[in-house]
Amino acid sequence: MKTLPSRSRAMLAVLVLASVACREQKGIPAVTTSDSSGAAMTSTSATTTNALVISRHDDRIFAGGIAPPPERFTNSAAHDAKAADAGAMLFTGMNCDGCHGGGAVGAVGPSLTDGRWRYGGADADIYRSIAEGRPKGMPAFGGVLQPAMIWRLVAYIKLLPAPKDAPTESW
Amino acid sequence: MPTSRHRSAVAFALCAGASLIVARASAQSAPRDGDWTMPSKDYAATRYSTLAQITPANAKSLHPVWTFSTGTLGGHEGQPLVVNNTMYVVTPYPNVLYAFDLAKEGYPLKWKYRPNVDQNSIGIACCDVVNRGAVYSNGKIVYNLLDGHTVAVDAATGKELWMTKIADLAAGETTPMAPLIVKDRVLVGASGGEFGILGWVKGLDLATGKIVWTATNIGPDSLVLAKAGTFKAFYDKGAQLGQTTWPADAWKHGGAPVWGWMSYDPELDLVYYGVGNPGPYNAEQRLGDNKWTASVLARHPEDGSLVWAYQFTPHDSWDFDAAAEMILVDLKIGGKMRKALVHFDKNGFEYTMDRATGEVLLAEPYVKVNWASKIDLATGRPVLNDAKQTGASRGNVKDICPTLEGGKSPASPVAYSPRTGLFYASTNSMCMDYEAVQTAHLKGTPFMGFNSPYHAGSDPNMGAFIAWDATTGKRAWAIKEPFPVWSGSLATRGDVVFYGTLDGWFKAADARSGAVLWKFKVGSGVVGDPITFTGADGKQYVAIYAGIGGDWLLLSGDYISNDPADVRDPADFARNLARHTSQGGIVWIFAL
Repeated sequence: MKTLPSRSRAMLAVLVLASVACREQKGIPAVTTSDSSGAAMTSTSATTTNALVISRHDDRIFAGGIAPPPERFTNSAAHDAKAADAGAMLFTGMNCDGCHGGGAVGAVGPSLTDGRWRYGGADADIYRSIAEGRPKGMPAFGGVLQPAMIWRLVAYIKLLPAPKDAPTESW
Repeated sequence: MPTSRHRSAVAFALCAGASLIVARASAQSAPRDGDWTMPSKDYAATRYSTLAQITPANAKSLHPVWTFSTGTLGGHEGQPLVVNNTMYVVTPYPNVLYAFDLAKEGYPLKWKYRPNVDQNSIGIACCDVVNRGAVYSNGKIVYNLLDGHTVAVDAATGKELWMTKIADLAAGETTPMAPLIVKDRVLVGASGGEFGILGWVKGLDLATGKIVWTATNIGPDSLVLAKAGTFKAFYDKGAQLGQTTWPADAWKHGGAPVWGWMSYDPELDLVYYGVGNPGPYNAEQRLGDNKWTASVLARHPEDGSLVWAYQFTPHDSWDFDAAAEMILVDLKIGGKMRKALVHFDKNGFEYTMDRATGEVLLAEPYVKVNWASKIDLATGRPVLNDAKQTGASRGNVKDICPTLEGGKSPASPVAYSPRTGLFYASTNSMCMDYEAVQTAHLKGTPFMGFNSPYHAGSDPNMGAFIAWDATTGKRAWAIKEPFPVWSGSLATRGDVVFYGTLDGWFKAADARSGAVLWKFKVGSGVVGDPITFTGADGKQYVAIYAGIGGDWLLLSGDYISNDPADVRDPADFARNLARHTSQGGIVWIFAL
């Protein structure tokens, strides 16, 4: 199992951020939302640039073969070199590892390191899974995490290395 | 169950002069009883049947006579019931209840009952979506749904009679345990030792499902139902122990789940059950003994009042739940017959106790143990090995034996044969590294704070099925297995014992010698518990679930095949397991 860095430090950060988040507006930000409140809280996010994320639902079947209009998100962690590190601390601090395992290799919750996704692997899909929860027991964290923090989690999860030969096991 | 007290008295009279010179079961069923009406067969939790058609001489001709796919892939722990020529099977989530007509060819369904179980319970259950079985009483089948409900179903028609919400899923409580019914009380408890619950047991009214009493396992005496004049622990004196052995309010999120089995002594009118781990796993966040986690509690079933309690692992720092069964038998110890309670704890010690008082008469390691050198019988406390204590400040503590899965898993209940005087147990030879870290309680999420990779113990065989003498604390024989053994055990008057393996074998062994008499590959790893019954034709049958899961969902890595979006590496310590098994829920019935 992967050892994650500095858990107790992560916990402090989480408790501070979570209490702020509870007072802030929740939900998926619109394109025009400027989400700088989270960035200001860590010394690593000074260079954050917001980026547009378009979810085209490419993993769905389209009725009539016609895709619905794309949804737009602002990924506040895009271009943030340290976002994944902050996300790793959040992954432990918010008890994500309790279900998905240390390093997200899978436990009672599914592996997040296999490059495969029940609910889509696009940034926006992972964001929604965290913010809104999923029906088989994935809690909705949108009430305790503000969008900037969720994007950092997305950044961490997207950087987890997928195995080279997942499809086949042989003896 | 109105007749049980009478029946056990009859059994006493019949057995006292016969085979039970050294030992006897205290609440054993009558000799011609061919049904299996409660999870552990009888109130004493012996899993011993008086059926004797299958013997060491003829067991080799056992063969399958019927199978049924349950349509579910969760771990198939627990066991079917057989009552009045009907077999009742509860599946893992979504907890379908099937009733099969054993009097007709092919055992067709009489009915099935499909409750609407909240699918959030899949992720809130710590360790797969298991169910440990139903119990029959007074025309009702009673069992727990995973999402915190107890239901009673008409055994004849499948009609739901009542459904009671007993647990709060949003607070991390799930309910896979097998209820016990004593007279008009249904006794239930909740899992959630990994979610910071405040653990409890409840007594429901059998007729209506109404909650009559709730007793917590931790906290102040008023909640624990430790009443002055009634509660008297053998070792731990004083009041408010469930509160004063914790820092401040830590007991409010202190775990103490109830996820195993319950047993009952009609003469003492005491129900016995084991309490699980304290939370979080980082013990430095909860200094003190943390009573009554990792303990056995004895209560009066009528009002829940606590009569005695004993803590196997004070200040548990290894996730040593004491959820395993308490087997109630009378044993001759030191030349004297004692009303004993026998318990194989996760912590690696077998405890033989006085079930009237809670005194420990004997405690011996049944697997390799290195976290403690022994149990001090004068104080009842383990003599600790400081090098194996854990906590966030100690970093990664290496090579602790046994693992948090237990020397024997509580999910794998032991059987006892009064004919041999031996206990039959599925054991594991594994050790672990334990890295505790600081963690914070966040409702609806896990409250653990640790990493714990397992590895194989020094024995090249990771498991064994053993026969054990609880009057001396010594092993009589062992059948070595390549993988940890995770099934329950069954003992019979025919001197044949049964168990299953993770690599999918169901086996019969000679109760006296440990010779394997017969085996059959059942299609998936076995984590369920064998039962035996008399069919409508008067023949003896043996039933078992196949369907690997439970903690093996967490441990074995890639044995899942039904979710293309969840592919894992095999477990380091059992890389070969997926070669022999995948998920799959099958009910098997065997006969001569």
